[in-house]
Amino acid sequence: MRHGPMTSSLSTEAPPTSTPALEVAGLTVTFPGAREVVALQDVDLQVRVGEFVAVVGPSGCGKSTLLRVLAGLTPAGARVSGRTTVGPATAWMPQRDGLLPWRRALPNALVGARIAGQDRATADARARELFDEFGLTGFERAWTHELSGGMRQRLALLRTCLPGRPVLLLDEPFGALDAITRRRMNAWLAGVDLAGHGRAVVLVTHDVDEALLLADRVVVLSDRPGRVVLDLRVPRDGTDGARRSLLEALDPEGTS
Amino acid sequence: MLLVGWEVGVRLSDLPAFVLPPPSQVARTAVEVAPLLGDDVATTLTEAGLGLLVGAVVGLLLAVLIAAFPLVSDTVYPLVTLTQTVPTVVLAPLLILWAGFGLLPKVVLVALTAFFPVLVASVTAMAAVDAEHAEMVAGLGGTRRHQFWLVQLPASVPGALGGLRVAATYAIGAAVVAEYLAGQSGLGVFVQRSRKGYEVDQILVAVALVAGLTGLLFLLVDGLARLATPWQRPSSTPRPGRTPA
Repeated sequence: MRHGPMTSSLSTEAPPTSTPALEVAGLTVTFPGAREVVALQDVDLQVRVGEFVAVVGPSGCGKSTLLRVLAGLTPAGARVSGRTTVGPATAWMPQRDGLLPWRRALPNALVGARIAGQDRATADARARELFDEFGLTGFERAWTHELSGGMRQRLALLRTCLPGRPVLLLDEPFGALDAITRRRMNAWLAGVDLAGHGRAVVLVTHDVDEALLLADRVVVLSDRPGRVVLDLRVPRDGTDGARRSLLEALDPEGTS
Repeated sequence: MLLVGWEVGVRLSDLPAFVLPPPSQVARTAVEVAPLLGDDVATTLTEAGLGLLVGAVVGLLLAVLIAAFPLVSDTVYPLVTLTQTVPTVVLAPLLILWAGFGLLPKVVLVALTAFFPVLVASVTAMAAVDAEHAEMVAGLGGTRRHQFWLVQLPASVPGALGGLRVAATYAIGAAVVAEYLAGQSGLGVFVQRSRKGYEVDQILVAVALVAGLTGLLFLLVDGLARLATPWQRPSSTPRPGRTPA
């Protein structure tokens, strides 16, 4: 289920979709040193409430750096310039799941809620609901090492969603999974209303098909230094044309 | 094998019993003195147990302070390390002077011996916190306080328990030394009395007891440590890596 700007489920709770959830203008990130590395150059990005935006690009193009800057996790020593307007709070999900081995599955899911200062009983009840939606029912008391790779990632995603932050920042959530599991995870995630309820999602990936399946809009970054080379709204009927333009943008010389 | 060799060796070489008694005699003595040793063992165990507890708590608290405040880390840590260069035998008379002949100086001495391994292991564990976990907390809007409670402190638990295991092996020995130097009861006092009477067999009984009690204490602490870190228990299910979900 994809959410275009006019999707009805948003109009009940969400503010108008023209409201920007986050905005970045002229963002440049440099890592000074003997060999100065420009990770991002002049990146403009606007994500509206209710929108699911995927950022794709070759590895090393700075897409993870972009997400970190949005999450307020600017890497040590980096020089950041440009204007970044991010809403009150974001929830960032790392590439690796970041689950705490000394907490069972349910307490791990509650970490974000605890940081957000949510009422424990409410968060607990909400978490149990989400365990069902995320296919984790029955594993509430499992230790993290007892979970499969796919379950770990879903649990990490659940932890990220639970605090109800208005902006979700997902850094290749399924990047470490094998191809089959990843496809299943994506099929499942496409049915989860992540960008609903007045939220916005930014997903970083290097997988064009993942981006097309999940996102309303795909932003393509070039090789380092990362620049926006394409900003494409995903058509709701047939993505073949969009897929072609994305692949062209990713590989302008047509070497593949 | 060792015991048989010892027995045969002593009998063949005709060593007097006040130099090295044969193990059979040590065993006989052990049975004889066993009813008299109950109080001494109880004293030593109390001192070792209390000292270990105090040492563990102090070590962990200090580790927390060192992890939380760089200033404490810079000033207190080297000082604490310095105290460990002073041998127990030198410290004991001072402690007796200040705290008397009772239980207190022994507990303090055991605690002084026990807190250091706990402290070092905890500080190391807290400093080596997985960057992945720290970033996860920060990415969800966590402050330094959250980092500490959610990541640093729990991450230090296995390390602290490792230090406690080491401390447990020192505790009985430290208590016995303290008693030996100035005590009214305890295995150290028993050794002291036996030495004065050249009763080597009794000393050897005490040696075996100290080793046995240390082993027991270690097993106890090890068991508690396992209970306290259930996530480290080897799971019966095989560790799933990238199995399809």
